[in-house]
Amino acid sequence: MLIYAIKRILWVPLVMLVIALMVFILGIYGPGDPVEVILGNNYTEELADSLREKKGLNDPVFVQYFRYIGDSVKGDFGESYKYPGKTVSELLAPKLAVSAKLFIISILISTIFGIPLGFYAAIKQGTPIDPLVVSMTLIIYAMPVFLTAPFLIIIFALELGWVPVSGWGGIFDSRSILPAITVGLPGIAVIARLMRASTLDVLGQEFITFAKAKGVSRREVIYKHVGKNAILPVVTVLGLSFSGMLGGALIVELIFGIPGVARFALDAIFSRDYPIIMALTLIGTATLVIANLIVDLLYVLLDPRIRYSNDN
Amino acid sequence: MRKLTIVLIIATISLFACSSEAEPQSLNETQKSIAPSLQGSDNSGSSESGKGGTLKRLWSDPPTLDPHLVTDTTSAGLIVEMFSGLVTLNPDLEIVPDLAESWDLSENGTLYTFKLRADIKFSDGSPITANDFSYSFNRAANPDTESPVAELYLGDIVGVQEVLDGESNEISGVKVIDDRNIQIKIDSPKAYFLAKLTYPTAYVLKEANVSQGGDNWTDSPVVTGPFALERYDLGQVLILKRNDLYWGEKAKLDRVEFNLAGGVPMAMYENGEIDITGVGLADLERVQDQNDPLSKDLISVPPSFTINYIGFNVSKPPFDDIKFRQALNHAVDKQLIATQVYSELVRPAYGILPPNFPGFSSDVKGLEYDPDKAVKLLSESKYADPETRPLIVVTIPGTGGSPSLDMEVVADMWDRVLGVQIEIQQVEWATYLQDLHRERLQVWGGSGWQADYPDPQDFIDILFHSESKGNHGKYSNSQVDEILEEARIDQDPLTRISKYNKAEQLIIDDAPWLPMWFDQEGLALIKPRVRGFEFTPLIVPKLKNVYIQN
Repeated sequence: MLIYAIKRILWVPLVMLVIALMVFILGIYGPGDPVEVILGNNYTEELADSLREKKGLNDPVFVQYFRYIGDSVKGDFGESYKYPGKTVSELLAPKLAVSAKLFIISILISTIFGIPLGFYAAIKQGTPIDPLVVSMTLIIYAMPVFLTAPFLIIIFALELGWVPVSGWGGIFDSRSILPAITVGLPGIAVIARLMRASTLDVLGQEFITFAKAKGVSRREVIYKHVGKNAILPVVTVLGLSFSGMLGGALIVELIFGIPGVARFALDAIFSRDYPIIMALTLIGTATLVIANLIVDLLYVLLDPRIRYSNDN
Repeated sequence: MRKLTIVLIIATISLFACSSEAEPQSLNETQKSIAPSLQGSDNSGSSESGKGGTLKRLWSDPPTLDPHLVTDTTSAGLIVEMFSGLVTLNPDLEIVPDLAESWDLSENGTLYTFKLRADIKFSDGSPITANDFSYSFNRAANPDTESPVAELYLGDIVGVQEVLDGESNEISGVKVIDDRNIQIKIDSPKAYFLAKLTYPTAYVLKEANVSQGGDNWTDSPVVTGPFALERYDLGQVLILKRNDLYWGEKAKLDRVEFNLAGGVPMAMYENGEIDITGVGLADLERVQDQNDPLSKDLISVPPSFTINYIGFNVSKPPFDDIKFRQALNHAVDKQLIATQVYSELVRPAYGILPPNFPGFSSDVKGLEYDPDKAVKLLSESKYADPETRPLIVVTIPGTGGSPSLDMEVVADMWDRVLGVQIEIQQVEWATYLQDLHRERLQVWGGSGWQADYPDPQDFIDILFHSESKGNHGKYSNSQVDEILEEARIDQDPLTRISKYNKAEQLIIDDAPWLPMWFDQEGLALIKPRVRGFEFTPLIVPKLKNVYIQN
């Protein structure tokens, strides 16, 4: 187990270096000249040359790359092109914090509702409850965020007046409820369907039949043996759902007026603010890689078979 | 030189679900007087009992808060509330004294002597003197400031061009007499010069604030206007608070909160999260229904002095051919766009000056919709052959959404009538402005021009004189230049206007633009508790008279 964990952890910086290189090369050779963005209206060839020299943009690409990596490791992603005088870190930090909080609540909503729903549908297979849950999750999954959001706004904000329409005040503020539900809803459907399939799979396993034959109570079989084993694949999905949720987050941030990172990233792309784009890509990649690492390690902890095969 | 995006205006008219930019712009640049429903209310705003409160508005991140750099309405709407200059425009669009108490004009009409008010102070408590104005004019003209508008608005002052060109460090035409008196010499008598001083490029800044703050001095600006900056969180919120050291009647509001994070304007209004919003087409019928509670908040918004257009860079093929440009003009049915796309909420534009704007003439004839003529002109142009015709890329501001419907309709009309196909590319607003100023765009749409002051020079000369920084399409016609230069110094208002009309006709015939539409009267919603809010067709300081009625 320990060797496996060390191996997996050692891969992380390597993956990050490769991703960083790709991002960096895209930044260098992508459309638009960073110097043009910085100089704005007063662009002249002379000023541009002088700025390129000053910023080390005339250095060989690999020199620039390793300088960038060295600075990034220290958390220094450089200065924004669009907002001169402001560092990428100081611009991104508050927005990342907002998006991370929204993401955490959404994941919680998806998990808290998705797992019991899927589990319940599976153990009720053969009753009308199962197809009902399956159909419901299908509908939820098929509903695009730009439909869910206005629908929730009309019902819960405008008609019932329970929550505000827009803004952000943190996890425990009423303004986070609707956006978190909007982002979390598709997750409920995915997790519920996965949990259902996984539970059905476990229910058909021999060890369950054996446990029943031994006279273990139905309650114990379902919650102790089935539940614990069925939840394993869902843990994997939680790690991977991160990237899927980002797409929906952009629309949600726009509709609900949330000052998160998704909208900021879009603005950075359209204004060719490469330091921001590169920092976001690196941070996003790092988060995804680390999330997957944690999931893999958790999996090993939870599933003895994986541990066995890797230890051998 | 205020650019505004059609995307924003359209948002007012045709409803955008989530454009944070839409709402402020729509109200910012449209509207003259307040609606009848409000006129009956306490519009004077002088009631002591009503003093205070927070006005909440939906806005978007300003590209700049530096008055000397401003070129857009989003920034200007905030800047005019925080900073000020020698003179200003009142809501009736009259030039009135601001930090200057009075001024004299020499007999030959070229030397202005301004006398500053006594005991005027910056928001940090330091006095405002003539030296501060001298510093500010010089700072605006200094090439290091990189002001894209200094030449346009200060270029008439003797010596500004030399400073802009780096040939001098000081504007020779600006002379400090003493702490309260400053002289400004202009190159020839110009009727509109005083009006130009109402533009933020001529606003006063505190030298120590700017020099100590470096690139980020606007994070903590020392101001002179009725409001000061309390907080600005990028993409989140911008809050103005009352400046208690403002020279005039203090602002009645405690704060103005600008939501920069976006949202659905109409839903936010209904839920009480913003106080003012435009009304889009989708909500038009509902809010006009007397049974709907929102109908009580409805006010009519008179048109702004704005023209929306598609600009051609005449130095880039295929737009270097006048017949090709004329063909594109004749191929577009603007009446159809006004009727079908905008439900008559806009008026088709055939000229350049908006109706009711000083100098507007109905005698000026535009290039009307005429498909046959369009086809004929295209066949006579050197770009008749689609195989050899250069690719046409229309740049519009935006961040990933669909192009505005009118742009798509124009593209379709060009294709159907002439077989001319285009590509539409979107760039972020600040980048769009930069590319425009640098004359890099081949064709640009989705934006418009709003007057800065009520004089035809602000449209015709600034946008079309061959040497003007506002001429982004490199349009050049020596006859037009000659007429515009004569009009600049013409002291007879009537002949001066006729010169602008003549130039306007020549410009229209040369087709450097496809004029699209002028504003019509629109609708907006304003909470009844908001008092004293005036809609103006130009951006003028106006929030100091607003208050919230408890």
